[in-house]
Amino acid sequence: MRNLINFLIRYSAWILFIIYTVASCVLLFRNNPYQHHVFLTSANAVSSGIYSAASSVTSYFNLKEINSDLQRRNAHLELEILNLKQSLAAYREKEYADSVPVDSSLQRYSFIIAHVINNSVSRAHNYITLNKGSEDGLRPEMGVVDQNGVVGIVNVTGPHSSRVISLLNPNLRLSCKVKGHNHVGSLVWQGDDYTTAILEELPRHAVFENGDTIVTSGYSTVFPEGVPVGIVESGMRDHDENFFALKIRLFTDFSTLSTVRVIADSMTEEIKAVEADTESKRKQQ
Amino acid sequence: MSKTTIKFAILAIVLILLQVIGLNNMCLFGVAMAFAYIYVLLHLPLDLSQNWVLTIGFFLGLIVDVFSDTPGMASLSCTIFAALRKPVLRLYLPREEDLTDPCPSSRSIGTPAFMKYAITMALIYCTLIYIIEAFSFFSPIRLVLRIISSTILTWLVIMGIDTLLSRSNEKRL
Repeated sequence: MRNLINFLIRYSAWILFIIYTVASCVLLFRNNPYQHHVFLTSANAVSSGIYSAASSVTSYFNLKEINSDLQRRNAHLELEILNLKQSLAAYREKEYADSVPVDSSLQRYSFIIAHVINNSVSRAHNYITLNKGSEDGLRPEMGVVDQNGVVGIVNVTGPHSSRVISLLNPNLRLSCKVKGHNHVGSLVWQGDDYTTAILEELPRHAVFENGDTIVTSGYSTVFPEGVPVGIVESGMRDHDENFFALKIRLFTDFSTLSTVRVIADSMTEEIKAVEADTESKRKQQ
Repeated sequence: MSKTTIKFAILAIVLILLQVIGLNNMCLFGVAMAFAYIYVLLHLPLDLSQNWVLTIGFFLGLIVDVFSDTPGMASLSCTIFAALRKPVLRLYLPREEDLTDPCPSSRSIGTPAFMKYAITMALIYCTLIYIIEAFSFFSPIRLVLRIISSTILTWLVIMGIDTLLSRSNEKRL
């Protein structure tokens, strides 16, 4: 027994070194991005407090660019409203008897506005911290967009802050399609350039041209269909001959993120319940 | 002893804040990043027991990890870094007994020795952290480029911090 204690004391530095190395490796290789505890992410109270203090200063730096983005988007939307009003008026004349106004309580999606208090673009796995949390209605697996396009997916929520897996993170695969067609591929970031990503697994017979818009497919409850993601920059051969891979220039400028919208889908639970139900029935058979 | 402890606690807090608020957002030419917080480990007194150095290293890395959402990356690098500190210092400084100040800095061990010590340790740290990062992405040219450029930048930042601290000490004396 005394020998054992002597041994432990003599090699205590080595033993500590091994313990710390193993602890770090456990943290490093615990791969599932959805199972982190909130204390070990940047959404905990201390770090989100420090980040929001710092961001209250730095958020002024990019206002000019964000403003011009918003102006452009605003002009685009106004144009769209005008077009829609015109067509609406035309339809109203045609189908006066059938037109039933849609109740706003029946709408499926709603937005929660949040501010980005921490963000990175230069790492291999990028995350974003927001200043809204579970008490503001945020839940894990909600989609996040800004005025230009898709930003990421909520991952961990604290009471007043939450962490988002950025689109610039290889753990995130986003189901997307070329606008106007229904062939679906999955968008994944390559880890080097924060303005581009790769749309993989697009079927070989899919039709596309350089400059086509890529939008979300709506095959999950995270993003509604048709949220803009980016434009096709060039096509390239996938490692598998049966699929295309496209290089996509992302609409979202991740280096100047400031205000984002979190998409709350009122049908998430219903769809999940239906899917879980089918899954359990399949297992019973 | 308590004065040194307070000095190191303040140094660690300031450098971690500098890192997570400032330096983490700066990435020169898309490759070079500076890691200022390793100065805390470089500067720890030589008579401190190895167990304490390892513990401080691990928790320093863990705090940086929590802030920058890289679980395990900085803590693993800092632990190995803390273990390698003494052997590296011994390369450039054979007799460590006749030091006036036990904390390695350009004033206590001489500027040339400290410069060599700092650049070796910066190289070790950058190599560790980028190799760990390369578990998920691997492109050799980019890896080497990142290691070399980050080593130089980290070294410059460390020398800057060291100069600031030695100057403030001189004024007090």
